[in-house]
Formats: sequence, structure tokens, C-alpha cells
Amino acid sequence: MPATAAVAPPPTAPEQLAARLSSGDSDESLLPTLREIKNQIIGNRTKKLLYLRLRAVPKIVALLSSSSSPSPVIIQAAAAVGSFACGVEEGVRAVLDAGAVPHLTVLLSHPDAKVVDSAARSLRIIFQSKLAPKYDFLLEENKTFLLSLLNSTNENITELAASIVAHSCEKPTEQTSLCDAGVVQKLVSLLGGSSNQRDTSLDAISAIVKNNPEVATKFVSISNGKAFNSLMGLMQDRYPRTRLLACVCLISIEQAFPVYFQEMQIKTKLILILLDLIEEAGRVGDEAPFVLKGLIGESEELHRQALSVTAAERLCGYLRKGKAVLEARRLEGILLVLAELGSKLEQSRAQLIELQVPSLIIDLLKHDCAQVRVAACHVIKNISRSLKHLCAGRFGSESIVMPLVQLLCDSSTSVQTAALDAICNVAVNLTTKKSVLLQSGGVSILCQLARSMHSEVRLKSVRALRNLMFLLDRKDKDLILTELTVSTLTILISDPDPLVQEQALALAGNFVDGSGVSTKFIFSEDISIIDAVSRQLKGECSPGMCIQGMFFLANMAAENESQKDAVMDCILPTSLDLSISHPNSFLVTFLQSKERLLRLSTLWCLINLVNPDQRNSFRVSALQGAGIISQLKTMVNDPCLDCKLRVRMVLERCLENRE
Amino acid sequence: MPVRVVETTSPSHSSGQDLSSAQPSPPSCSLLCAGRSFCGTQNVSSLQKDEAWKVNVRIQGCDIEHGFLCGTMEALNVPLADTPVVTFWEGEIVDAKNHTFFTGKWEATPEDDIRHWSKFPSFTPLLSQIEDDGGKSLDLSNYPYIFMRWKEQYFVNVGADCGLTIAGFYYVCFSCTDGSISGFYYDPNSSPFQKLELKCMNAKPGGFSFSSYELV
Repeated sequence: MPATAAVAPPPTAPEQLAARLSSGDSDESLLPTLREIKNQIIGNRTKKLLYLRLRAVPKIVALLSSSSSPSPVIIQAAAAVGSFACGVEEGVRAVLDAGAVPHLTVLLSHPDAKVVDSAARSLRIIFQSKLAPKYDFLLEENKTFLLSLLNSTNENITELAASIVAHSCEKPTEQTSLCDAGVVQKLVSLLGGSSNQRDTSLDAISAIVKNNPEVATKFVSISNGKAFNSLMGLMQDRYPRTRLLACVCLISIEQAFPVYFQEMQIKTKLILILLDLIEEAGRVGDEAPFVLKGLIGESEELHRQALSVTAAERLCGYLRKGKAVLEARRLEGILLVLAELGSKLEQSRAQLIELQVPSLIIDLLKHDCAQVRVAACHVIKNISRSLKHLCAGRFGSESIVMPLVQLLCDSSTSVQTAALDAICNVAVNLTTKKSVLLQSGGVSILCQLARSMHSEVRLKSVRALRNLMFLLDRKDKDLILTELTVSTLTILISDPDPLVQEQALALAGNFVDGSGVSTKFIFSEDISIIDAVSRQLKGECSPGMCIQGMFFLANMAAENESQKDAVMDCILPTSLDLSISHPNSFLVTFLQSKERLLRLSTLWCLINLVNPDQRNSFRVSALQGAGIISQLKTMVNDPCLDCKLRVRMVLERCLENRE
Repeated sequence: MPVRVVETTSPSHSSGQDLSSAQPSPPSCSLLCAGRSFCGTQNVSSLQKDEAWKVNVRIQGCDIEHGFLCGTMEALNVPLADTPVVTFWEGEIVDAKNHTFFTGKWEATPEDDIRHWSKFPSFTPLLSQIEDDGGKSLDLSNYPYIFMRWKEQYFVNVGADCGLTIAGFYYVCFSCTDGSISGFYYDPNSSPFQKLELKCMNAKPGGFSFSSYELV
């Protein structure tokens, strides 16, 4: 006869369950409550947060330390604590605030093995979080305790010990201390254990050897190189996560002890394995490109090697196949590797351009995830370092410039600054075509950003304007300065940030380069660019600023009589200088500088001032009076050939003038 | 060739404006920098006729440390073309570090190299030191001439089927004193020793001016 099917009871409301925890009981009557809470929260962020609001965590943690709690209750309570801490930052915080770690640590010595297991698993979950406390390995008792955990026959406990090392070991003193205590050997022995033991051990070894040549050297010597060979073997493990962690570990050793890795073979293998791992599902595939970026780093040799094993083609292939569906993290990683490949070598940039990378990634400039947009900007910035392709106008098209201009108004500051960097390079328009930036409204936005409260944004936007101004037509230069305003430029020349000042001076120099400079921009009644430059040059400024300031004056002095006179007024000592016994021009100091370019830029200014024309004799006398000619005579054998030739040019012109 | 660029977090260095003065320098000159223009002629005479094209050259980029520079060359009054013909070229600076006097490519043998370099009077004092190894141990940092090879890469404003060739390259000698340039075109399939003669141009009436950019 058919019978009515048994119906599972509806889940108890969290409020009721939380209330039961407050009953004050700690006996087995709480077991069903704890089990149900645990089952409700596993993999359920919403429920975890709800129970956190109901303040369930302190009550559950209290059960861990209650002497009257029977083992089954402790086991469930520990499991629930671990689950709260798994993948939810607020959960980790709540668990830590409730003091779970010391209680769980005590339970590692419990006579009931199941209690020990449960406590160990929960602690391992907690120590996977960045919020977990750092374990102080320099305390002898802590080190002893750690070693006792590593010596345990309980797999959960040894994994916990490795997790603690992976999470907490940072300083060289800690690394050395653990190494001297034999922790590395213990971890190496775990490489032959279960998959979890191997993975946590790999993590821990990476933490101990990272950036520590001494420890890395000791590692590779363990058992005459057998430990190292084990790592090499794990690169081919059947589990993707283990392969990834083995790569991370080997890279840590390579970076700490590069001599051991002189053969390219191992590095090539690492590159190939990481390229394969990018195709893996889940976190392994998401993290693999970041590991690859860390490997090839800033090494031209590794960039070349990566190119030779078709890394660029494969990465582009991943983008072509699945950029619409790839996780943001993975996309970001792939883009950062491409950016890294384009950062140094012209051959890499050429290859990336041939693979149509700019077109491939344009739509990623509009991706929802800010980090992806940033990474896409980095790719364009690095590839556009190619002068050859800048000259060919490869980066000046609307399809590249317009999305970048739009990113200048992005809600994320990091995206804005990344876009500014990319625009800075593409603004260098070396073609004869008019720059798209001039037509796109980009100039307006750059000028606004040049007034930003953030010095980094000001710096990058002024640099972009400077680059845009390079060799531009007079008409377009005037348009830019009209948009920026003379007032803003003079303010930028006196910016609190010296780097901004330097870029503003270079921008001014580019503006006055070329013929037909309108005096309305240089000399106005209230604000004068030349006065602003003069103030900077006479104050305390960096060599970089002085160089740009002198090139500005040199360019001014190349224009006409009135501008030469203005430059003379700027460089000659004022009555104030004379009254405080500074009879010489500041140019004398510049000519005495150890900075070759500062001497050179000053010399060019002088060459232009004594360029043969009407008022030359007056200028030569004035320069003589300011101590400049005397200084020049001491420089006829300047160690820099360029300077020596310019000194002779000035003196010859002065002599011609006298004759 | 790599281009020297700066990371955004570090102090600025500009193309053609090298702030470093601590290391022994490669050959450099402030008249050989991005933005600088030169004009003159290229003698393209053959046995059939005398002909010279007016030529304008502009330096677009200069990376002294890597011995690299690049720019454009504009040839005017080219018979086969309705407009001036512009090409983009890349240059190698002979600095004994990145490049020697021996070309090692572009169908130029060491004998061709010496034959062409010897056309420059300024090369004569160096000849004995380069015959063996192209001058790998030469210190040219204080020599008042800079030697380069310029190789045109592509046509900027006309098609490759315009009837002109850019198969060869130029041996170039630059005078640090006044920025003048002389060069000889080498192409086994063209008339030999076509001479390029350029003077440094000022964009302004009253002297030399400078423009710069900075790649990040």
C-alpha cells in the first residue's frame, strides 16, 4: 500500500536557533542546534551574515572553552567556527574578536582525536585569511609549538602548521629562525604526503625562501638537491593547484638565488607550465597569469624567452577565444602579462602590434571591472613606447584614443591615472596628421585634470599636455594654452610638487619652441610665464627643474630682440641681489653644476643671447658684468665634449662681437 | 631596438635630454636630439645625368644609451612623385657598445664599411683601430663626430609601389660642433656613393630652440 512519504521538517528559523544557543547549556542537547546552524551556513554567505548579526559566533566560541562541553559539542562548535571564517571577511573578524584562536589552539592537545581534527581544520581555515593574526616565530615557545605540530602524525595538524608558516612568515629574521630550527626539512618531508599536505607545504616553503638568498641556498642543498628535485617533479603533478604552487615555490627560490637557475631550461619550463595553467578552471587559472608576470618580471632575457615559446600568441589566443566570458581576475592577469612583455623590448612591442593586441583589447577599456580597465591601459601605455609605431601613427586612431579619453572621467582614480599614462604616450603624435586628441575634447579634460587636487593626476596630465605640445603647429599650441590658461600654467610652474613643476616648465619650453610665439601668452600685465620661470630658477629647485627652465629661456632667447631682452632681465642680478652681495647671475652657479645637462641648457641660452644681431654688444657687456664670461673662460676644457663645444661657440661669438 | 623610457614612479628623463652624468658617456650631442631638423641635399646623380633632391630630416626619437635613434626623411622635387616623399628611418649610433663600424647586415661587407667610412675625413684618424674588430675598444665619447647608419623602414605618405627604393642605407657622419651631417647611401643596386649633405636648421630666427617629450 502506498504510504505518505516522510516530509523533512522545515528548517528552524535562525532567530530560534540563535536563541537556543543562549540557553546557557553546553551539553549534548545543543548538538542538533549546532548541527543545523552549521548546515545552514555552509556555502551560504547570506546565512553567515545573518547569524553574525544574531551574535551567534561568541556563543559558539564560548562552547569551545567550556569545561562542561562534551566532545561532540566541541567538534560541531569548532566546525561551525571554521565555516563562519570560510570566505567571509566579516565572519573571520567575528571569529577572531570572539577569541576563537587561543581556544582552538588549546584543543589541539585534546585527548579526543576528532576534537583535535576539527580544531585543526578550523584553525587552518582561519589562517587562510589575511585577517588572521601573525604568529610570532621569534618567540622560542612558539617555535617549539610549531615544531611539535609539524612532528605530529595527524595530517590536519601538519597542514595547520604549514598554513601558519605560509600566513605568518615574512621577515628575514623569521625566515632564518625557522630555517635554523629545521622547519624547512619538515616541510620538505610533507611534499611526499597527501595532496593537501603538499599544497600547504609548498605555500610555506615559498614564504620561508622568499627574497632570502641564505635560506634559498640552504634549501637547494637539502639532501644534496633532492628537495629541489622534488619541487621540479611537482611541476608535473596531476593536480593543477599543486603545479601552480610548485611554480610559485620555484620562482621564489629563483628570485632569491638566481645563480642556481642560470640555465634557461628551468625558466622556460616554468613559463610553459604557467601558460598551460591559464587554461585551468577556477582560481588556478585566475592566478596563473599573475605568477607568470612575477616570473618574467623585469628581465629582458625572460621576455625574450617567453616570446620564443609563443607566449604572446597564446595569451592573445586566450583573449580571442574567451574575453567575453573570462573572469575579470583572469583577464586582468593576462593583460598584465601582455603589458609586461611590451614594457622593455622593441621586438616584443613589434610582435604584440603584429598580433593586433591594441585592437584586441580596446573593448576591455570599457570592462565593468576597474582592474581590467587599468590593465588594458597598461598594455597600451607599454606598447606605445615604440617610437617606430608612434611615427607610423599606430596609436593615434580614434578607436584607441577615444576610449582612453573617456577613461579620463572614470569614477576610479586608478583607472584615470592609468589612462593618463597611456594618453601621455599616444599624445606624442609624430605623424603629419592632426592629433585625434586635439579634436576629441581630450585637451579640455587634460586641462581640467591639470587643476586636480591630486598631485599624481596633475603630474600625469601636465606630462600628457607637454607631449601633445611637442612639435605641434603654432595655432594648435595657442589653442592648448588658451584652454589651459597662462594663469594655470604659472601656478603649475610653482606647484608644491617638484615633479609637476618640472613637467610644467617642460610644457612651457615646448610652447615657446618654434617660431611665431605670441607675446600675449608670455608677457601679460598681471601674469607672466617668464616671471614664474625666473622665480623658480632663482629659488631652490631641483636640477631637473633648472634644466627645463633654462631650455625655456633658451627657446625664448631664440625668438627676437624683445624676448632676448626679457631673458636678460631674468638672468641678470637685480638690485636686491647686488645689495646682498650676490653680484653674479645664478647662471654662474648653473654653469658650475655637476649636471651636464644643466650646464648645456645654460650654454644654449647664452649662445642664443649672443647670436649675432643688433644689441649683442650690450648683452655681452652685461653678461661680462654678471660674471658669466669669466665663468665660461674656466670651462674651455669642460670634461663634457658637448659643453666644451658650446662654451667655445659662446666665447667665439663674444669675440666676434668685440671685433 | 629598445627605447629608453622611464617608469612613472621615478624622476623624469626625456628623449634627447639625459640627466645622468655619472657614467662614462656614449657619444652624444645636444644638436642630435628629438625634434631637431636638418635640411640639405642628396646627390642622386648617375652616369646619365646629374640630379640632386632637396632633403629635410627630422629626428623623432633618440636613445643614446641603446645607440638608437629614428626620424623622418622628406625628399622634395622627386621626379617620380607628385608630392614630397617621406620615409621613416631607424638609426644605429656607432658607440662600440651597441654597434661597431662593421654593419654585419644589409649586404654590406666589412670592406664596404671601411670604403664608405673612409669617405669621411673625420674617420681617417680612427681607421687603424677599427680594421680588426670594427672598433669595439674605441672610446668615442669625446670625439667631435658621431657616426651612424640610417636605414629607411617604410614610406610614410606614399605606397611602396611609388617607384622609389629604400633597400639601402646611409653611412652618416654628424659633426657635434655645428650639427652638420654628411652621408653616403649604400645599395648594391643603386649608384654608389650618393652623397647626403645636411645642415642643422633653426626653427627660430634668433638661435637654436629645443622641444622634448617623455614616454612613460
